[in-house]
Amino acid sequence: MIDTLSPPPILKLRNVRRRFLLGETTIDALHSISLDIRAGEFLAVWGPSGSGKTTLMNIIGLIDAPTEGEVHFEEQDTGVLADNALTEFRAQKIGFVFQNFNLVPVLSALENVMLPLQIKGVSSEKARASAMAALIDVGLERFKNSLPDKLSGGQRQRVAIARALVVEPKLVIADEPTANLDSENSRMVVDLMREMNQVRQVTFVFTTHDPRLLDHVDRKILLRDGCIERDEVMA
Amino acid sequence: MNTFKLALRGLTRNRRRSLVTLLAIGFGFAAIALFAGYTHNVYSGLSRNSIYNALLGHLTINKTGMRKEGKLDPERYLLTAKEVDSITQLLKDEPQIELVTPRLAFSGLVSNGRASTIFIAEGMEPSAMDRMQEGVLSEREKRDGTYNDILKKLDPAHMEVVELSEGLVDMLHLAVGGQAAVLTSTLTGQANALDITVGHSFNTGNAGSNDKFAFVTLELARSLLDAEGRADRLTVLLKDDSQTPATRDRLLAKLKAAEFDVEIHTWQELSDFYNQVHGMFDMIFGFIFLIVLTVVLMSVANSMGMTVVERTREIGTLRAIGLKRRGVVRLFTTESMLLTLIGCGVGLLITVAVRWGINVAEVSYVPPNSVSPVLLLIDLDSGRIIFTFVLMALVGTIAAYLPARRAAKKPIIDALGHV
Repeated sequence: MIDTLSPPPILKLRNVRRRFLLGETTIDALHSISLDIRAGEFLAVWGPSGSGKTTLMNIIGLIDAPTEGEVHFEEQDTGVLADNALTEFRAQKIGFVFQNFNLVPVLSALENVMLPLQIKGVSSEKARASAMAALIDVGLERFKNSLPDKLSGGQRQRVAIARALVVEPKLVIADEPTANLDSENSRMVVDLMREMNQVRQVTFVFTTHDPRLLDHVDRKILLRDGCIERDEVMA
Repeated sequence: MNTFKLALRGLTRNRRRSLVTLLAIGFGFAAIALFAGYTHNVYSGLSRNSIYNALLGHLTINKTGMRKEGKLDPERYLLTAKEVDSITQLLKDEPQIELVTPRLAFSGLVSNGRASTIFIAEGMEPSAMDRMQEGVLSEREKRDGTYNDILKKLDPAHMEVVELSEGLVDMLHLAVGGQAAVLTSTLTGQANALDITVGHSFNTGNAGSNDKFAFVTLELARSLLDAEGRADRLTVLLKDDSQTPATRDRLLAKLKAAEFDVEIHTWQELSDFYNQVHGMFDMIFGFIFLIVLTVVLMSVANSMGMTVVERTREIGTLRAIGLKRRGVVRLFTTESMLLTLIGCGVGLLITVAVRWGINVAEVSYVPPNSVSPVLLLIDLDSGRIIFTFVLMALVGTIAAYLPARRAAKKPIIDALGHV
């Protein structure tokens, strides 16, 4: 039966398989995964180490391609896009938050947030204004001129979230965004992501090891040995 | 993205490495610029010496075939008195020309009464000699008086007074005011001798000619050769050295149109020594340039190679958030180009400082085949400095291209997972 009340999926994975070659050994990181992610979802992918969480996130984030299967983002078959087109597609539609923050160390917090906009070719003035607004959203306007190494782990991750959101993406991918944070900062980061999800209607997909964070999500997918073991929509 | 700004900040990440690379580029650049400045000074000194001191002038006009066959058949290849006058009249109003003067070269024996030796002499008008030598010394040399002994002077009132080279004067135990006799043969092959007075001695600046050369008045030369009004060539002095080739072409066309069977040579074609020194220094410059360029290439390639490896994860991040592969290449090549340009800027400062020090120190040396010391002076050769700037920037950019391209091609997930 077709669910006419739910928003349409922005991302569809069909029979996705990802195989890695390590020397002469072949490793199947994902086995025939099919998955729909709907606009506005706040979704966690969890599971033990080696279950394929990061591989799945890479494929959802279009920074890796499946060995088999199809990935459709807003009805666009991403498999047919050449590297440049795919890069532009990512720049327009997807934001990234990394476990290690991955901020550019020689740029200030504000400049880091401006970076994706400037890559897209937005003028410096507009990029500065948008980045400032994004920093205000994450509560770091006072630290706009600080270099990343002058910020705490939680602050850095908030800058990274601002950087991911500044391009107004459809989807934000966060791979273990709290792995390097203490529990208080982890909660703050997840709360912030949740707030942005609800206020801006941005779809968030993140991975985590921390079962406490799963209480905050709309939907959680348990991954084990490269397969979806459980896909739960929270009440 | 503001590539320039990001590239500039990138240089501050590993300051020690950037500084070492920058100094390698800077010293390499300075080595090239200083050597170029030295050779520029040598070329300029040699050209001044050839045109004004060796009295070659800028252009030499002679009958076609004179240089090849003239010594065997001087009568046939000398310009007649009418030709000398006509050509002089034709050229005297040319705007680029400062002076047109007839010359007559000959050789023979000079004797002090007890011993004789060969000599080679140039006959020219005393006033023309004075005018041509106005450009011999630079302002600094005139001030210092270092090279006053190379200036030659003939006496227009006394045709028998001659200028002998210092070696010739020493060899014949003559002194200024002393008497000697010269013996030569006329155009028709008759022996002809005249008494001469040593008016002054001069240094040719060349060990090979300093015991053979003499300057005499054109009047004396014509008398000795029995060649009234004739000349073997006309020397043309221009107002501007750089106009030499263009003026040669124009004058040749004009003289051919007037049906003179003549050829015109520039001073560069006639000065073998200048050409040999130029060729040798150009070779050495090329060799040094190649070595320095290789060192710069290796330094920048090594530095940028390490930089790219260290920043692989950052490259992965930039690629993930939308930077295209060519953007990654552009970022690192810009960074490398900036490093090279700043290094060249530092090199230019080093060049200016070292040049000032050397020029102020007034270091002198005796060049090969020379009889007197010359000052070691360094010019600023702007042409070759700009060439070096551009080439080094290009080499610096290319040095970063390969590692940047390799990094840009790396799969994003591999780059993000790089430790």
